[in-house]
Amino acid sequence: MKTTITEKENTTIIALAGRLDSNSAPQFEQQLQDFLVSPHTHLLFDFNNLDYISSAGLRIILNTAKAYKSGQYHFVACAMQDHVQEVFEISGFDSFITIHRSLDESLSALKDRS
Amino acid sequence: MKISFQINNDLSELNTLLDQLQLLEQEWSLPKKILMEINLVLDELITNTIEYSDSCKNNPIEITLTKTGRKITIKIIDEGLPFDPTLCKLPDTKLPLDQRRCGGLGILLVRQFCEYWNYSRLNNKNILTLQKTLSQEH
Repeated sequence: MKTTITEKENTTIIALAGRLDSNSAPQFEQQLQDFLVSPHTHLLFDFNNLDYISSAGLRIILNTAKAYKSGQYHFVACAMQDHVQEVFEISGFDSFITIHRSLDESLSALKDRS
Repeated sequence: MKISFQINNDLSELNTLLDQLQLLEQEWSLPKKILMEINLVLDELITNTIEYSDSCKNNPIEITLTKTGRKITIKIIDEGLPFDPTLCKLPDTKLPLDQRRCGGLGILLVRQFCEYWNYSRLNNKNILTLQKTLSQEH
């Protein structure tokens, strides 16, 4: 899996591309460490180019949501492919993670909240 | 129609799994969505097997997929320690965030994307059989 990290205003955008499975999860988890230990912006995962997610990826998403649950910064997700979103819904993750349809929608929602 | 292949107990073998399934996608002309579901089912079960097995020991995993009409049967055989995933407890997906745990999500997804599964232990081997029925339009 490939990740691209950019910062825009008050938000860190992490764009995921490829496959998030038990093979790629450890590296992604390591990349996220700093953002989880001490959030300093809102965090947005852009799923547009993520083709596949397994429970190994869901585990990281769950830990990310927990890290941002309290505190001033928010964690949101956007632009999921249908089957990725289906996996989120089966797991019940859509009940505690806001999933926007597009990157712009997420950014404007976060702008309103800061 | 039937396809069999073997992988080693190493997570990098998930790429081998993907290669094999992509061949299948063409040969069996499966829709992308079905292929993704089969990939996820096998990924979750194989990852479990690899994580439960002794990584120092070579423990090949044998995978067979059979298509009869609209029915796809998946068989996974390995010689690792006895492990019956059908006994795993499923997570409560209705719990609020702070009470949610990671465990069991893989098995939940397997259950969602297969209609039937059966475990047996025979000749020191774990044998897991799953079935998935393609809907009418497939």
